[in-house]
Amino acid sequence: MIEARSQSKHQTTRNLMKIARFTPAFQFGRTTDLGPWLRHPLAGFPAMAQLFEDFLPAVAVSSNPAADLYEDTDHYYACFEIPGIKKEAVKIELHDRVLQVSAERRVKAGATESTRTISRALALPNTVQETGISAKLEDGILTVTLPKQESRKLKVITVS
Amino acid sequence: MNTTGTANKCAPSVGVTESLRKPLYSVVNAKEAFEIEVELPGVSKSGVSIDLEEDILSVRGERSGTALDGWKALHREFSSLNYQLRLKVTTPVDVEKIVASLEEGILKVTLPIKVASQARRIDVA
Repeated sequence: MIEARSQSKHQTTRNLMKIARFTPAFQFGRTTDLGPWLRHPLAGFPAMAQLFEDFLPAVAVSSNPAADLYEDTDHYYACFEIPGIKKEAVKIELHDRVLQVSAERRVKAGATESTRTISRALALPNTVQETGISAKLEDGILTVTLPKQESRKLKVITVS
Repeated sequence: MNTTGTANKCAPSVGVTESLRKPLYSVVNAKEAFEIEVELPGVSKSGVSIDLEEDILSVRGERSGTALDGWKALHREFSSLNYQLRLKVTTPVDVEKIVASLEEGILKVTLPIKVASQARRIDVA
């Protein structure tokens, strides 16, 4: 038999940025609120928002892949963890400034095999330039590159 | 008061111990082998190490952080990018025939179960 040995921590970094999640009843998938990235429906009710946060786990649930966000001077990068998925099976949609990543995933349970749709939504801030968004899949990580608008880039003015 | 000194002693050694993430995995116990699937998104072939020491199978995956260099994290859902999984193998396995493959961030390890030596009939000469 094989059994789990030591447990390593499934830690989440909550101190980086205040993040609230919610799942609207009419829409599957999870929308991540990143401060200015999305106006949260529970913005006026911090206690309730906290309640939602406590109930919805931040770890990757099989249907909502984990997503990390990074930035550099010219781009934002959204990295989704979608191991075991070929790039043909990934669908990325942009609608009303909401980026929706979804994919079909085959799940094996013994002899039976079923497909499950995984998806995650990300509300984009106004600082993202919608044209020029690109994506690549490597080693099970989907990286979506979101260019920043020219006017929002860091400008350095030299004193003449 | 010497509490500060004591507090320093008790403080966890931050940065000394590497934080590792336990990956999602599944084990299928087939007739002839254990088939282990470990989800290691972001880990390339060169970043995986598999060891079987006595009865502990340990899988480590290190993300090559080349693309992450110079990126500032806005939001991270896991504190660690590297993975470690330790499994206790209590059934004898054929160490020589262990095979592993990595595809699309999923590591598959096959541990063939050792076949017990069959009873031999010895004829009296």
